[in-house]
Amino acid sequence: MATTATARRGRGGFTPWLFALPALLVYIAFLVYPAFSSLFFSFTDWDGLSPGYEVVGLDNYRAMLSDDVVVKAALNNLIWTVVTIVVPIVLGLALAVALDGKVRGKPVLRMLFYTPGVLPLVSVASIWGWLYNPDYGAVNEFLRTVGLGGLAQPWLGQDSTALAAVMVPAVWLRTGFPMLLYLAALQSIPREQYEAATVDGATRAQRFWRITMPNLRPAHYIVLALSLIDSFKVFDLIYATTYGGPGTATQVMGTWMYFNVFQYYQAGYGTAIAVVITLVAVAVSIPYVLSQTRESDR
Amino acid sequence: MTYTRRQFLGTTALAVAGAGLSACTGVSDEPSGGGSGNQGSNTLRLFTYDDASQMPKLKEQIAAFDQQNGTTTTVDNLPGSGAAVYPDKLRTQLLGGSGPDVWRIWGGQLGAPFATAKQAADLAPYYAKYGWDGRINQNAIAGMTFDGVKSGVPFFLAGVGAWYNKALFAKAKVQPPTSYAALEQLNDALVAAGVTPLGTGGKYGWHIMRLFEFLLEVSAGPELHDKLLAGAETWDRPEVVTAFTNFKKWQDRKWMPQGALGLDPADIEPGFVQGKQAYTIAGQWVENNAIGAAKKPASEFGTFELPTDHTPTRHSGFVEGYMVNARSANKDKAAALIDFLVQPATQKALGITGSTVTGAEPDQAKLPLAAQWTDINKSSPFYTIQDQAFPKQQSDQYFTVQSELLQGKASPAEAAKKMQDVVSAWAKDK
Amino acid sequence: MTPRRGGLAGTVLLSLGAVIWISPLVLLLVTSVRPLADFVANGPLTWPHEFTWGNFADAWDIGNFATTYRNSAILLALKVPVGVLLSAMLAFALSKLRIRFRRTIMFAVFLGLTIPIYITIVPVFIMLRSMGITDNLLGLVGPYLAFGIPFEVLVLQSFFRQLPDELIEAAKIDGAGEWRVFLTLVLPLSLPALVTVAILDAVATWNEFLFALIVLNSDASKTIPVGLLNFQGQFANNNTGLAAGILIAVVPILIAYVILQRWIVSGLTTGATKG
Repeated sequence: MATTATARRGRGGFTPWLFALPALLVYIAFLVYPAFSSLFFSFTDWDGLSPGYEVVGLDNYRAMLSDDVVVKAALNNLIWTVVTIVVPIVLGLALAVALDGKVRGKPVLRMLFYTPGVLPLVSVASIWGWLYNPDYGAVNEFLRTVGLGGLAQPWLGQDSTALAAVMVPAVWLRTGFPMLLYLAALQSIPREQYEAATVDGATRAQRFWRITMPNLRPAHYIVLALSLIDSFKVFDLIYATTYGGPGTATQVMGTWMYFNVFQYYQAGYGTAIAVVITLVAVAVSIPYVLSQTRESDR
Repeated sequence: MTYTRRQFLGTTALAVAGAGLSACTGVSDEPSGGGSGNQGSNTLRLFTYDDASQMPKLKEQIAAFDQQNGTTTTVDNLPGSGAAVYPDKLRTQLLGGSGPDVWRIWGGQLGAPFATAKQAADLAPYYAKYGWDGRINQNAIAGMTFDGVKSGVPFFLAGVGAWYNKALFAKAKVQPPTSYAALEQLNDALVAAGVTPLGTGGKYGWHIMRLFEFLLEVSAGPELHDKLLAGAETWDRPEVVTAFTNFKKWQDRKWMPQGALGLDPADIEPGFVQGKQAYTIAGQWVENNAIGAAKKPASEFGTFELPTDHTPTRHSGFVEGYMVNARSANKDKAAALIDFLVQPATQKALGITGSTVTGAEPDQAKLPLAAQWTDINKSSPFYTIQDQAFPKQQSDQYFTVQSELLQGKASPAEAAKKMQDVVSAWAKDK
Repeated sequence: MTPRRGGLAGTVLLSLGAVIWISPLVLLLVTSVRPLADFVANGPLTWPHEFTWGNFADAWDIGNFATTYRNSAILLALKVPVGVLLSAMLAFALSKLRIRFRRTIMFAVFLGLTIPIYITIVPVFIMLRSMGITDNLLGLVGPYLAFGIPFEVLVLQSFFRQLPDELIEAAKIDGAGEWRVFLTLVLPLSLPALVTVAILDAVATWNEFLFALIVLNSDASKTIPVGLLNFQGQFANNNTGLAAGILIAVVPILIAYVILQRWIVSGLTTGATKG
């Protein structure tokens, strides 16, 4: 860096800020500041409706400890985050590797796998609701047809399967993009690297781990970034597919926050829930963010 | 630790948020303080949740009103999701100082917050001016009266009962029952004939609840049922346990579809029209939305009041009506609009299947089944449908109890205890 | 991977997978071309007794698409270019200019990836109200921009870093200032990456529901996802209309994707070759 022309301006001077400030101001005004305002509301008993409220300190946070739904929602969030990050990435990578081979009709196949990702969520909820119908839905029909009728379940109608049943459409929606990215990255790996390895007698598995994976590192970072965004923030898919039910079995922090703020007149408590999930998300992501920051120094 | 808002704002950087808040307390200098019109102007805004297919008819009527009165009325519509989204949205609008002059709303606990927060105007003067008392069903008006204040004008009175497929009843050789025991026998006969009796769906909770509230009316009877809903009697009692036991029985004996808890009401309610289930528990809208939408003749279907074995026989019901923004600058015109909407001619033009207005009963020729409910509503009183008897939070907790019971995670006795916890916590705050 | 034999078997297997993958969408297509009465009378998972194109014309009216399409398009046209430009500027400052607190800024911006949009709804709503832009498309631009920035900056700065410093040096020796370097050198060279973030951003903007629902009131200002609510009723859903409406809503995005997918691929290719 010291050799670049810009370095001559010492610590950078004013011009870089002209580039940086517009985005930073928008970011601060519409994301950072509102997030901190929410932090404030979480210390009040505001109902979201009345003009006044009282500051109640940590009461809302204390109340969360004795709220069974919060515990359940936190656990659901955890499961959701792990599954919907890992599965689409692995599946996307597998599809990309397969598509990178000798396959005809590549653009069409790529498009088919990617298409679910552009659907509005309201449609996803309806379609999967029909597919899961216990009596005449396609999922159970399929199981009965292949002789596994014993496995037929009221997928969305019981606590034990409902969360998994909502994660399937999530994976369905979110596999396309990692596939696309990995495919792009794979196609840019110079063939000579593979040929050299083959000459050295490397097996296919060795070639994958020694050449493919390291070359995919930048793609991993981007995919992971997107997965983080989608997974922690889960709200609309669950809201539309199960409405948090049956009972509260599929509540996550996002939906539970929404119910409290907009339906139960407990904006203070609801924002406290949002604050907690945000803090957890931020804490979990710090290693990733640090790695990205460090990456920029390489 | 009590701070007033102002003290706090003096010392924090949250002044912007605070300024926003004070704008909705009514101290702002917005001339209308909500509502769309300035003082004396002729603009009105109506917020509603009509089905999209209903909108052309409504807009036509509104246009007629505008022409007669020289007003300009905009209609904003938020269909979808029933009671799940609309009240939230209405609340944000009122909070945002851009509230409508007139809005449509359900009665019970869905409409109550707007009345108790005094966001809805006291309509007593307009009741007197337009003589609504004499033209609108008194039971319905009671459903829009909160703490003695007439805060809304009801135009729709739903009576909830059974709607059935005649062919499937014939297949099982059964007739509409006249006692609860007969209803159970009917269910068994249907199951024996290979037909699922009741089409009901537990997503959102309120649809499957229509069965439970009926079972509670059967086991508790009118007087106790009302006290339970008001939190005046404990739920931890044999009558409630019986109702929960019966509820579980309906599922265990396959009187409702497998996995009913996860079904979307909008998908399952037309099941009796599709011949997938024998009947559903619903209100007069079914005749348009399920039978009419499938283009089937009404003669293939029937409806009856669920037998409770009590006198009087009551059914579940709810009202919908219009409220006027307390801060509207155009209250007179807003009331005139409502009066126009509840004219028999307008109600008929809008095709309201359960109109509260004398002279706007459903047309015997066009909606023969809904018309039966006009008679039932005259002869038999209704109890407030339970999801409107409780605030949303308590309703949701109640639905969770239902869900746990049906999944075998709570016994009927435990469910009754949990309900008592839910209701007593609410009744204490009330 | 090295070219393999058996391309046919792979093709068949993948095609089979793709067919299963896409089959839920077939349900959507079938539903969109059957009459509502047929749907209500028989249920969703049945083969239609008759077919109709009428749902599309009906859906156009019911979904108020003439208005919602225009609104969503305006929003897209405002939001996406501005968002990409602002992000690119910040990314340029972070990757190619000397700026104080560089790592702090990066850290703070990337952290935004994880902030759930719903935590900001109440304060943003209050803010918009005090600015008098609730029920206004403009009110959505700010929050949408803010939530797009972290990801866009992340992708773009990592792309910009791959551009050789020598190129920039050379331009500077020729007397070009930072702005000229940015506008005439960095941006054109990064077109594939810009297209990639733009299309992802466009999909997200096109489908965003929660903020639009809270902020927009009147039919005249609604966007497509909010307009899709018109197909639901208090007691019954117009599912055939909804299916047609969804297809109408999705088509532009799919077309854009087909046209731009070549760019996406090559854009990320460049970014990915150097690690």
